[in-house]
Formats: sequence, structure tokens, C-alpha cells
Amino acid sequence: MTGITIAMAKGRMQEEALQLLARAGVQVSPLALKSRRLAIEDESGAYRFVFVKPSDVPVYVEHGIADCGVVGRDVLLESGADLLQPLDLRIGYCRIAVAAREGDSRSAMGALRVATKYPNIAATHFGSRGVPVEIIQLSGSVELAPVLGLADCIVDLVETGRTLAENGLTIVEVITDSSARLVVNRASYQLKASAVSRLIEALKRGLDEGEPK
Amino acid sequence: MFEPLSKIPVGMRYYFGAEARLRRSVEDTIMGVFDGWSYEEITTPCVDYLALFERGMGYEQAHRAFRFTDGDGRLLALRPDVTSSVARAAATLFAGRPRPLRFCYASPVFRQQPPSHAEWRRENKQLGCELIGVEGNHAEIELLLVATEILTTLNLRDEYRITLNSVEIFSGICEHLALDDLQRERMRQLVDKRDAAELQKFLACFGTTQTERDSFSRLIQLTGKAEILDEARRIITNPRSLNALNKLESLWGIIQALDMGSCFDIDLGDVSGLDYYTGLTCKIYVAGAGARVGSGGRYDNLTANFGRPEPAVGFVLDLDALIDVLMRKGKEAAGEFEKRESAALLDSDPATLFGEARRRRAGRERILINITQVKE
Repeated sequence: MTGITIAMAKGRMQEEALQLLARAGVQVSPLALKSRRLAIEDESGAYRFVFVKPSDVPVYVEHGIADCGVVGRDVLLESGADLLQPLDLRIGYCRIAVAAREGDSRSAMGALRVATKYPNIAATHFGSRGVPVEIIQLSGSVELAPVLGLADCIVDLVETGRTLAENGLTIVEVITDSSARLVVNRASYQLKASAVSRLIEALKRGLDEGEPK
Repeated sequence: MFEPLSKIPVGMRYYFGAEARLRRSVEDTIMGVFDGWSYEEITTPCVDYLALFERGMGYEQAHRAFRFTDGDGRLLALRPDVTSSVARAAATLFAGRPRPLRFCYASPVFRQQPPSHAEWRRENKQLGCELIGVEGNHAEIELLLVATEILTTLNLRDEYRITLNSVEIFSGICEHLALDDLQRERMRQLVDKRDAAELQKFLACFGTTQTERDSFSRLIQLTGKAEILDEARRIITNPRSLNALNKLESLWGIIQALDMGSCFDIDLGDVSGLDYYTGLTCKIYVAGAGARVGSGGRYDNLTANFGRPEPAVGFVLDLDALIDVLMRKGKEAAGEFEKRESAALLDSDPATLFGEARRRRAGRERILINITQVKE
């Protein structure tokens, strides 16, 4: 009951997350990272990493296959997974926002067509405002939808806002901020309590060190 | 619109062979432990008014149930919970009986929406017990001892952990901060997720100091033994929470005196679960199960809904989650489950064949009539 398996979201913030872990004293050899293996151990052997698609991180952790995970708050909100989120890792900052074509005034009445990769976040957001919406789920290049007339607006991640600008879209409303979170399985949190809290404490130290003074 | 009849509704399944036998034997073992502590088996109606469960479990949990209407238009539900119904029976059918009442049950419960993605089943068998009509430590310790005996009997001695908390600690803090119901629920969700970052932001709106916020968000992330209570006392000052901390401490004292400290943890961040708990809450975790396998606590106000307020405690184990763990363990330990032998009876003359069958069955032998060998 000692080793800890950590599910890491591949892509956007993998590099930053590994740097943070290194500052926390969890080193993964660059050689192992370069290999195409999807499960690797850190140099102390106390942690095993599995690299999966961001949206799969909550799945592995909720089922207890991984004890912990590193994943964006956006993915957690969308998945609705029942997980513990003890630590904000303060990396991978972005916003989840509603964006529309510049100068497009959204009509207050009638159903709004929303294109998004985040159907649950979009539905909750507009639902809480009592706006009827038709949600069109896409899996990429969401910015195209308003340009081509598939949707009135989009709900998507915004990091720098460049993609939006280049497609003639502006942010109408920010739904929420997102950053990477450490998530933990409910049973692992109790049954591997000391190992999990060691990891949390180490990451906290790593965060403080990385913080500009 | 032709749906294939071979399709099974999501969250439902068959049980068969070694797994079905294991389920029966584990159920018998657990019911045997309940019986050993003088708990009387009770079977509650499988269909009941939705209003009963709304009162009992709280609106949100009750609405996970499969619902349909009665002939008079009232909403019915397939039972999503047993405790609500037992509490009603205690206050009505058993009103005249001497206290305490001890009930146990092994009943399927049904939920249209499971509580998490990992718990995909929509039919679960719950094994539980309720001890109604006693206040204080005695009832709570009895309950915890029954639970530990069950887990030990199932050979899970070193693999389980029971966490303890009191709802009153959280309630005292909410009262102290003068939170309304919506704010209380928001804070409950944040504590439940141990989301220190968001909790700090939330608490900042309620006139708390940075030091208070830091120590409180650290507190809800800690799981441990008696030292957690000392730490909590340094941070929490309102009388309601302190009273709950004292009760928890005296319970912990008895647990240590019984030399059971290693199986228990205090977890002040445990605020999930049903609305009906009023004091002690416990959660049961077993290595190999991604979600908890059981939960329980004190629910002193539940029976008041049915006109007879009295103290009560109870806990429930999820047979399905336990079986998942035991099946996996069994496979690792002993390979496949054993195939059982039976004596095959082959004679083709029916009178002789079944005469022999009857004779062997009288000796409790396991037999198998080989029908294919029988000729007309």
C-alpha cells in the first residue's frame, strides 16, 4: 500500500508539470520520457507515471487505477468526476470563456447555438442564466463554428486569445479560470494517506520555490 | 424501432457461478455477525413513496431513484435507501417495543444515477444495521465493533480503514460564519473535495483572517489520529464545533483502549453523504476498491419525521464493492475459484435413477442427473 500511481495529462502542460515535480524532488529520467512507453517510474521508484489524454485522467483516478492525477480544472469541471482536489498547481493557466464574432450582438431571446468541446460546462453556464441553448459538440477547431455560421458563439479554453483574434472572435464573457490541479482518489487518500500527504507537501514546497519573490 | 432483446440496461448485471456463491456466502457471513450482536433481520418494502426518501435521504439523493406513479398519482420510488424506511418502522410499527431496537438487513437498492462514474451499478445490495433508541458512545462503539468484526471475518484485517468525523464540527463552523443553506452547500462541496484553493477564496468573503483560512484549509486535508483533534482545537473556537470535538475525542479514547487505533482515522474533511446524519459519521475504505465500501453514522432527527424523535446510529456495507475486492483477491491468492464436484447419475431407467438420486440426496450428497443419457 505504498507506491503511488500518478496519471499525467499529456500535451499542453505536461512539460510544466514535470518541472514542478522535479522541483518537488520527483525526478523522471529524460531517457524514459523520450521512449514511447506510456507507464514509467520515477528515479526513486516510489512513483509510477502513466501518460494519458487529459480527459482520461479523471477516469483513471476515479476508478482508483491511478491514485493521483495532474489535470486542468477545465477537464474536471467538464467530467463531473467525484475526486478530491487538494492542490492548485498554479500552472497551465487559462480561462474558459464564451466568445463570438466581433460586433455580433447576442439576441437575448430564442435559443442560442453554442459550439464547444465542453458541453457540460456550457450547459451549466447558460442554464444558470436561464438562457435556452442548443449545444453543438465539436472535438476541435471550435473557432471555425461561428465563422462558418454553424453556431452563434463558442465556449472554449482561452490562453493568449490569439486564435480567437485571428478568427475575428472576441471574448464575450469569462465563465471561470482554470489551472492544473492535483487530484486524488477518495480511497487512496485514506488508505495511502502518508504517501499522498508526502506528495502534497513536496509539491507545495516545489510551488513555493518556483514562485517569483 | 427494434431494440435487440439481448441488450441489458446500463448498470444492471447477472451474477453466476463462483461469484454468485461468493455473494451468498459473504452475505451469510455478514448477517451472521449482525445476528451475533442480536440484530433482528428486517425487510423493507421495495417500492415506497418518494416523499419518504426525500424526507430521509434529502431531496438530491432521493431524486437519484427510479420513480413512477401510483394509481392515485402519488410518486413512488424503487427503494434507493433502506435506513429511511427502517426509521419509519421504528417510529410506527415498533413504537410500543422496548428500546433499544436492533435491526439488520440485506436488501437491493436502486439508483437511476449512480453517485460517481466508478460506481456504475444501478442496483446495489446493501448490508446494514441500525441501533435505535440509545444516545452516546455505547451505541457508536457497538456499531464500529460490528463493522470491524465483519471486515476481520472477511480476511480484510490489514486492508481496511474506517474514518471518523462529526457533522456537528462542520455545522458549528457554518453557524459561526452565518452561512445560508446555499452557501453551506457550496462550502460542503469544497471541503468534500479538499479543494483548499477554492475554499480559501470562498472563506475570504466571510470576514476570516488569512491565518484562519490557511489553518482551516490545512485541517480539512489532514487524516490522522488524536493529534488531528488537538490541531482542530487550536483553530476552531465556536462552542458547537468544540462540543463535537470533545465527543469525538472521548470516542477515540475508547477506540484506543480497545486497541483498535490502527484501523481508524479521524478525517475532518469527510462531509459527504446523506443529509440525515446529525453527529458521528464514518466511512469504510478497503484496499483494492476505488470508492468507499461502506458508510454510517448517527441520525438523531430521522425518526422525528415519523412522529417519534429518538437517537439512532447505523451503517451500511455495499456488498457489490466488497465482492469486487474479494473476487480480485481470491483470484490472486488461489488462481481460479474451485470447481465443485458432483456425483453424476447415469442410469436410464427412471425409477432406478431417481430412487438412487433420492437416496444420495438424503445423505446430502451433491448429485447431477445426466439427462442426455436418458432415452425415451
